[in-house]
Amino acid sequence: MDEKKKYPFHEKYFKKEWSYVTGSVLLAMLALALVIVTGGSWGVTGPLGMWGGKFLQLIGINADSWKAYNGSLAKYNFWTDQTAITDLGIVLGAFLSVLLATQFKIKKIKSMKNVWAAVLGGLLMGIGARLSLGCNIGAFFTALPAFSLHGWVFWISIFSGAAVGSQLLKKYFM
Amino acid sequence: MAEQTLDCLGEACPVPLIKTQKAMEKMAVGDVLIVNIDHSCAMKNVPDWARSVGHNVEIEEVAEGEWNIIIEKTK
Repeated sequence: MDEKKKYPFHEKYFKKEWSYVTGSVLLAMLALALVIVTGGSWGVTGPLGMWGGKFLQLIGINADSWKAYNGSLAKYNFWTDQTAITDLGIVLGAFLSVLLATQFKIKKIKSMKNVWAAVLGGLLMGIGARLSLGCNIGAFFTALPAFSLHGWVFWISIFSGAAVGSQLLKKYFM
Repeated sequence: MAEQTLDCLGEACPVPLIKTQKAMEKMAVGDVLIVNIDHSCAMKNVPDWARSVGHNVEIEEVAEGEWNIIIEKTK
């Protein structure tokens, strides 16, 4: 028998992608719940900078003396960092949802070009997110409902960046 | 009626979509393109695009997290 007919509930709620409306309403409600419960707003990339600094400390580079950290690394505690906990939640939640959809797969690395693109892309995203003090969550998603102007500036910038980036992708990577 | 396979396994969005669009350009009406993908967002944007252009589309789940998108060029 066809799997779709065998497990209609699983098919509808776990396998088939949710609509944009469902997703955005849930995102808005969960982001609001986070503000109500913790008093802090949703972000993602802040802790990445701290973890990077911690890593540098680990390999013997005294990053804590840098102006950007200024002693904050010594005081840093993962378990009391709200954003670090929600980051952990994103990874666990994504893992859970892909398991529930029975779509988990370890992907093959196709070529060295893809590896370099991933490493370079990750570095650029990380630098960009720290320079602009946030990613599309902290500097955009959280900023707009707070009526903060920086969200709109971020929006215009990220769209122009994506437009240029996709043209570069078409020209040099395809 | 020719049949052609496009291997997009391991490729992330929007690469599978752009590759599919390029491959479809070179095909004749009635030809079939089978796109292998393992990126779930390509499972949405590739069929969405093909249907919006008017081609016949079928999706086949071949393994966990792996799909074949079968597109028949109609015009």
